[in-house]
Amino acid sequence: MAAQLFLNGLVTGLLLALPALALTLIFGVLKFANFAVGAMLTFGAYAAWVANVQLGLPLFASALVAAAATALAGVVADHFAFERLRERGSITLMVASMGVSLVIENVCRFFFGNASRGFDIPPSRPIRWEGLRINHEQITTAVTVVLCLIAVDLLLRFSPLGRAMRAVADNASLAAVRGVDRRVIARLTWALSGALLGLAGVLAGLDRAIDPLIGWNYQIPIFAAAILGGLGSPLGAVAGAIVIGVAEEMSALVIPTNYRQVVSFTVILALLLFRANGLFGAKAARK
Amino acid sequence: MPALAARGLRAGYGRGADIVRGVDLDQAPESIVTVIGPNGSGKSSFVKTLAGLLPARAGSVSVTGRDVTAEPPARRVAAGLAYVPQEANVFPSLTIGENLKLATEFLRGRAGVGAEQRTRVLELFPELGARLRTRAGDLSGGQRQMLAFASALLAAPEVLLLDEPSAGLSPKFVGETMEAIVRVRQTGVTVLLVEQNVAAALRIADEAVVLVAGQVSLRAPAKDVSPADLGDLFFAKVA
Repeated sequence: MAAQLFLNGLVTGLLLALPALALTLIFGVLKFANFAVGAMLTFGAYAAWVANVQLGLPLFASALVAAAATALAGVVADHFAFERLRERGSITLMVASMGVSLVIENVCRFFFGNASRGFDIPPSRPIRWEGLRINHEQITTAVTVVLCLIAVDLLLRFSPLGRAMRAVADNASLAAVRGVDRRVIARLTWALSGALLGLAGVLAGLDRAIDPLIGWNYQIPIFAAAILGGLGSPLGAVAGAIVIGVAEEMSALVIPTNYRQVVSFTVILALLLFRANGLFGAKAARK
Repeated sequence: MPALAARGLRAGYGRGADIVRGVDLDQAPESIVTVIGPNGSGKSSFVKTLAGLLPARAGSVSVTGRDVTAEPPARRVAAGLAYVPQEANVFPSLTIGENLKLATEFLRGRAGVGAEQRTRVLELFPELGARLRTRAGDLSGGQRQMLAFASALLAAPEVLLLDEPSAGLSPKFVGETMEAIVRVRQTGVTVLLVEQNVAAALRIADEAVVLVAGQVSLRAPAKDVSPADLGDLFFAKVA
């Protein structure tokens, strides 16, 4: 039982890692907490559903459509809302992200209604191994997330865009006088975060029914993961997501599963009280 | 043609009063001009306005005859104007190698930027080449200053703006920093040096510009300006 919960928690944590990474990238580069992560995840889930169910594309292609569509949604949100408010400070941007979140959620509600939907994928038997039950969806989630994390890590460490993003996160004014166009980097950060959230939406849609509130179910754990890791630290976001995922699942051993989000709330509360910079706080604080 | 020119430059923060109040400057190519003045005289604001980090409310800035007043900071770098801020002048989470790489990555197409310039700059600052994998955040103040100079120079600038490069450095490093500035000028770069350490700045500069309350109160060859005589000027009331 405990091993099964641990495995489930690991996969849940990996699923949380993508949106937590997206949240921390936006925070690191653009210096505000993006409350639209949940809504963008929902948008990604619906984009994939349209591609998969209505257009008949296979799930892999639908995931690419979702990533592209959500990346575009992020860029559009930046163009019409966030860029205009960039100099107004992080609180204004955070409130704006709440507005963007409501807009996205209601656009989804308008076009798709409140009914629950699911992807058109053939049912498959879970794999049984050493007494553990492993779903194909869990394997898909784990492989997808690990590949994405490797790709993002390589991008951040070795590409000019990654260096520019880290430079802007360190010191945006200095980056500007080194020839880095902050506007372009902001757009690309939104695109990258949007793509991650779109993919997270697809994986969330494999895990549960797609409805206008699917993203909200992950909102608190995403924030708990990013804060636990230290907002602004990509490695911290991933580590925080895995800890939160495992802790939430393992909490079923001691509390009813309906209350498992208590774990995320407790982590946020404890961090705010005792270690506001999170696990990788020194790095995040310096940024 | 002056390497750097400012005409009636005015700038300030938010909705506040002007901090830079109609500054004119004509700097000859390959010269060192030092801008000195008391605390709060607008020296750093002036140099930030030249770099494009503080928008000009009036007036103009041109680099080798090209008007860059409306250009954002990144485009001014591409036009040949490099700037080294007073503090936080390197990216601490990036290695020395990454700091240097970033300095040219977004300037492709600018003449002079490339492997040759990198070799030339690393010859000027040989200690950097040996420590490319060290995080910039782990460097001492003097080493950071060298990295900041090197990063700015990799852009093959016509004009280098330095904002108080000696701030916070030990006397030994102040001397080394001033020597580095002279070496930079010898490579054909025009240097505008904002400095609090007046004596050190006057020793290496060709011309001194004294800024008081955001206005030029004296412009003279550096050799004719004595630090001892500046007290009255610094505290004189400017209309």
